[in-house]
Amino acid sequence: MVTKKIRINVPEHLYIPKHEILKKKEVEELLKKFNTKPSQIPLIFETDPAIVGLGVKPGDMIKITRKSPTAGKSIFYRYVVEE
Amino acid sequence: MSVQTMRMIDGIRFSVWSPTEIRKYSVAEITAPETYDEDGMSVQGGLMDGRLGTLEPGQKCLTCGNTAARCPGHFGHIELAEPVLHIAFIDNIYKLLLTTCRSCGRLKLTQEELNEFKKIMEKEAAYTVVSVKHIPEKIIEKAKRITKCPHCGKTQYELIFTKPTIFIEKTEVGENRLLPITIRERFSQITDDDMRLLGYDPVTARPEWFILQALPVPPVTVRPSIILETGIRSEDDLTHKMVDIIRVNQRLKESKEAGTPPLIVQDLVDLLQYHTTTYFDNEVSGIPQAHHRSGRPLKTLTQRLKGKEGRFRGSLSGKRVDFSSRTVISPDPNLDLSEVGVPESIAKRLTIPEIVTEWNIKRLKELVINGPDKFPGVNYIVRPDGIKIRLDFVEDKKTIADNIEVGYLVERHLYNGDIVMFNRQPSLHKMSIMAHYVRVLPGKTFRLHPSVCPPYNADFDGDEMNLHVPQSEEARAEATLLMRVQEQLISPRYGGPIIGGLRDFITGAYLLTKDETRLTADEFANLAMLGGYKGTLPSPAIKENKKNFYTGKQVFSLFLPKDFNYVITSKWSKGTKGPVKDVVIKNGELIKGIIDKSSIGAEEPESVLHRIAKDYGNEQAKNFLNSIMIITKQFITNYGFSYGYSDLELPEKIKDSISKGIQESYDRVYDFISQAKKGVLHLTRGLSTEEALEVYIVNELAKARDVAGSTADKSFDQTNSGRIMATTGARGSSLNLGQMAGALGQQSIRGKRIHKGYNSRALAHFLQNDTNPDSMGFVKSNYRDGLSSLEFFFHAMGGREGLVDTAVRTQQSGYMQRRLINALEHLKLEYDGTVRDPHGHIIQFLYGEDGIDVQKSDHGEAFNIERLVESESIVDSGKKATKDEISEISKRYTKTFNPRLAKMVQDALLASKLTKEGMEKVCKKGVDLYNKAKVEPGEAVGIVTAQSIGEPGTQMTLRTFHFAGIRERNVTLGLPRLIELVDARKKPVTPTMDIYLDEKHKRSKEDAIKIAREILHTKISSLILSTETDYSTKIKLNLNPGKLKERGCKISDIETTLEPSKKKFGVEVEGNSIILNLLEEPDAQTVIGIRNKVLGMTVKGVPDVERVTVVQQDDEWVIQTTGSNLSQVLEIEGIDKKNVRTNHVFEIAQTFGIEAARNALINELQSTLEDQGLEVDVRSIMLVSDLMCSKGYMQQIGRHGIAGTKDSVLARAAFEITVPTIANAALTGDVERLKGVTENVIVGANIPVGSGTVDLYMKIAKKS
Repeated sequence: MVTKKIRINVPEHLYIPKHEILKKKEVEELLKKFNTKPSQIPLIFETDPAIVGLGVKPGDMIKITRKSPTAGKSIFYRYVVEE
Repeated sequence: MSVQTMRMIDGIRFSVWSPTEIRKYSVAEITAPETYDEDGMSVQGGLMDGRLGTLEPGQKCLTCGNTAARCPGHFGHIELAEPVLHIAFIDNIYKLLLTTCRSCGRLKLTQEELNEFKKIMEKEAAYTVVSVKHIPEKIIEKAKRITKCPHCGKTQYELIFTKPTIFIEKTEVGENRLLPITIRERFSQITDDDMRLLGYDPVTARPEWFILQALPVPPVTVRPSIILETGIRSEDDLTHKMVDIIRVNQRLKESKEAGTPPLIVQDLVDLLQYHTTTYFDNEVSGIPQAHHRSGRPLKTLTQRLKGKEGRFRGSLSGKRVDFSSRTVISPDPNLDLSEVGVPESIAKRLTIPEIVTEWNIKRLKELVINGPDKFPGVNYIVRPDGIKIRLDFVEDKKTIADNIEVGYLVERHLYNGDIVMFNRQPSLHKMSIMAHYVRVLPGKTFRLHPSVCPPYNADFDGDEMNLHVPQSEEARAEATLLMRVQEQLISPRYGGPIIGGLRDFITGAYLLTKDETRLTADEFANLAMLGGYKGTLPSPAIKENKKNFYTGKQVFSLFLPKDFNYVITSKWSKGTKGPVKDVVIKNGELIKGIIDKSSIGAEEPESVLHRIAKDYGNEQAKNFLNSIMIITKQFITNYGFSYGYSDLELPEKIKDSISKGIQESYDRVYDFISQAKKGVLHLTRGLSTEEALEVYIVNELAKARDVAGSTADKSFDQTNSGRIMATTGARGSSLNLGQMAGALGQQSIRGKRIHKGYNSRALAHFLQNDTNPDSMGFVKSNYRDGLSSLEFFFHAMGGREGLVDTAVRTQQSGYMQRRLINALEHLKLEYDGTVRDPHGHIIQFLYGEDGIDVQKSDHGEAFNIERLVESESIVDSGKKATKDEISEISKRYTKTFNPRLAKMVQDALLASKLTKEGMEKVCKKGVDLYNKAKVEPGEAVGIVTAQSIGEPGTQMTLRTFHFAGIRERNVTLGLPRLIELVDARKKPVTPTMDIYLDEKHKRSKEDAIKIAREILHTKISSLILSTETDYSTKIKLNLNPGKLKERGCKISDIETTLEPSKKKFGVEVEGNSIILNLLEEPDAQTVIGIRNKVLGMTVKGVPDVERVTVVQQDDEWVIQTTGSNLSQVLEIEGIDKKNVRTNHVFEIAQTFGIEAARNALINELQSTLEDQGLEVDVRSIMLVSDLMCSKGYMQQIGRHGIAGTKDSVLARAAFEITVPTIANAALTGDVERLKGVTENVIVGANIPVGSGTVDLYMKIAKKS
């Protein structure tokens, strides 16, 4: 199958925090740190507008850097699933 | 000692009984419709057969030989003469008929397609968690359209399903009824593999079992008969229904054997189907309900389980308890805050079990001698061999007391110092049940301190409360550690005190601490004694007329911690426009200022009380509050404080000026009306003349009331009781004063003046279209002087609305609360700091993103660094630390802190003048406080969150719309908006947008208007004056040049709009009109169709945006819209794409993704609550939002969202849609794992949340 990377513009908006794909090794660390299965992590659809431009595929882990009213900055993770 | 093994339920599997199983579990086939014979003996093979279990005590069960107490009951069965459909599975039967082949029974998809689905299912990759769930839907959607079986090639016929139980196939030869027997045959051909693809578990539920051949007869214990006083036996509803089934079954069997015509047999089959259907569910739509002889509808199986009073919610989730009592409450300010007054009569009935030991044997013996009737006594004694002795009938209590030895158990009366749980419904938050210490008192009511009313939301107008007595040491320990009143001083909703002084305590504090108060040594000593002061008395502060006097401030200071420093602005100072920060406490001494609500009040964060609670602990805060309240109470009692009719008297002069003021306002109103008539009224944008006039009048009248009120208010001096109460915050407001002494003002219904009722007038006493404000509900009188009869009536109309509003609101917010609790109850904090559901799904990686418990926080912050610095700076002296030192210290200590807190600490240190050592001390204290404020593992964060959002719901206004000034924008607010948000609705009732502009355009109004025109949705219909339709040839659109200009459109724009539909008509421009020449001569209907279509065409702008307003915010222009269409607005040039806001959260989820939706949801929830002046910590709002967004899409809080997708069958069944949930669980072979809250309440097991998360193990000594 030919996969052509189509760049779709990731919408920029004040509500959208930074999304990035987590590296394999980091994913393992994350799962180990929280002693958890990927499906127990909060989910995000592969079609989610905030990540379609990143070239994600189901099974990826997304790291989200949120602005936080309580902590200033906080990290959240979401697991990419098929819709 | 024997070791008792305890068994825990591991899980509950749900399944469908096969006919074989039904017969296997049956102890008797039931054939006789009679229940008892003439002698009153149960008939063999009848519904009350002795083999089905026993009812009467003493009687032995014919199956198991046990007596009524131990026999669980046994099932019987009825062999049905003809199979019938099971109503609970009727939808599944329909879907299976639709999707499977009528001849070979396979799913009507090709093997390849099926394999494809099977592959996805078997792959079980983690990322298919969502997609797997959609497989059955997809298969059904595909298969039901297929008309030819891909496996056997047979043609499939259309299926008609007539609810509730009739299936008809449309064949070439005509309509053919599918009988249960045929359906059964077809279903038995369906392969197990196909069933699995559809989500069924063929082991627990084969489809042919949905058709009943044998019907289980429940044991008699399920349907006990009752004997009325008359001696007549009355059977249970289920028994009645079974009798019907057996009768029809018998008749059917006989007529089948006798060879009756098939039509009549079919009628009987239908009747049998009807009876079995109503046996399972008597509320099926489409068939008549089965009734009892008395006319009451029968309560059959479904009705028993369903609803609030059903088995799940009524008997299993809510259980009745022993050791509880309920009576009316009344206040007693002489009690301790943490005490409850219990009437002796109740104390004598409620008992606490106490095991006799050598340390308490003497005391207990005395109690035993007192017996059950003399307080304090004992009701029962349990001997070590398990025999229970009731002391009521014991003559010689002395001998019994002498016989008591160590190891006996005594059930003694409740007495002073015992800990009990006290509760008032509705239990909306955790402070609705608190632990109090018992104080046995005479009388018949529970007594509580008035200051604990706010958490219970109690008053004394007849409220009743409940009292529960914990029976085990563990329960008492938990109650004392977690539930006592002083542990609940700080609300987990906002991290401020919820308990504090109120009403007369506030007034008393004011009177005591005001500057003029003088106390003699006697008075001073008395008060000090009352407050429990143990130290030496200070010396009098004031010398007047050669006499020494104490001040009230000195009394207050006695109870402050000696190292306490604080500065605050009192309510009194705010109300009298006095200096700010007037209350000064230095080293535990009230130097100046007045103590009122802002210092010791309930629900006042950052008060003196709050500070003491935070800095010195809850116990000390409680003692402080106790002392202050008892002395203020005593002081105000001696001082004498009253409020009455005479306190509201106004001088004639002021009365005149008030009525003159109102008359002037009336004149201005008449002026507005005449202006409007002449058409010279100044119009505000977007409002019609009538609307504008109404706004002006309402404003004018409101002003009139305010002026009247404040005139009256001002005429009272500062010694006026009403004035004191209003300004100190004890009770009432200046508005209330104004209404009592000045004028009541405008009465309103739904936020508008009262104008309906009669034709063109509100009441029959006025002329039609009367312009006098009196006729529209303006009340000139005040409460003191009394209202005129018409005014009184208007007032009652407004008052009625208030009552209706409250009634509706409690219902709505109650339901919202239930849904929130259900969605969040199982979330708890794990040891790794994550918030998870019991199946390990992470909702938050760190609770509240900083791991701070709101109840342990300082008004939402881990600790108050400024306060730490401030108190340190008083004792600190020396050289100020250098910048480098500061940054070194703050870096060293804030390592574990989150960025925001670290910055706060650093900033505070930089701003302070502390020495290096002082800073070290502050930081150490800060780290300590930070660690103490962290949430504890096991904490039921979900429940606390649900309560924090649900509880304020009751206090919200129901008013749906609110007129945001003259901004001509209606926005849903308050409770309806909150419900809308947690419902995750597809579209809000009032979608609106706030569109910010980019750098280039935001400064100029003209640019903003230009962009606004591009956004505003302009249809052809909004540009024309009229249309002329010639039904055979043409449609003429007469354009409105004014509107064209207003919307910034040209005629050519309309032409371009019409361009794509040129096939249907020619377009011709003629001056200010456009003529559409129809190409072919159509009928009138099509012409109208074309015309309407043309009128609805978009010329310009964004669809759904119905209104735009350009508003100036600070120095930039912002476009506000009614109607929202995010994706298309983003296409418009000149806007700031990063800062387009909408209240349409669902739209944000679609265009910006789930994370953006989560942020939007937080913002919306927060602003909705803030708008109503309700303080809710962000952490609660974040948890709800994170939960709603945790699955990648917005889930509703309710049966279609989180509550409906819970893993636990019992929890879903207990929430809503009970019976279908259970039926479905059986089909899919669900197993109840009992990990959540509701499930464990239902089975009566330990709840795995909070203190239930941990187990205690004891090491047993090894045998030597």
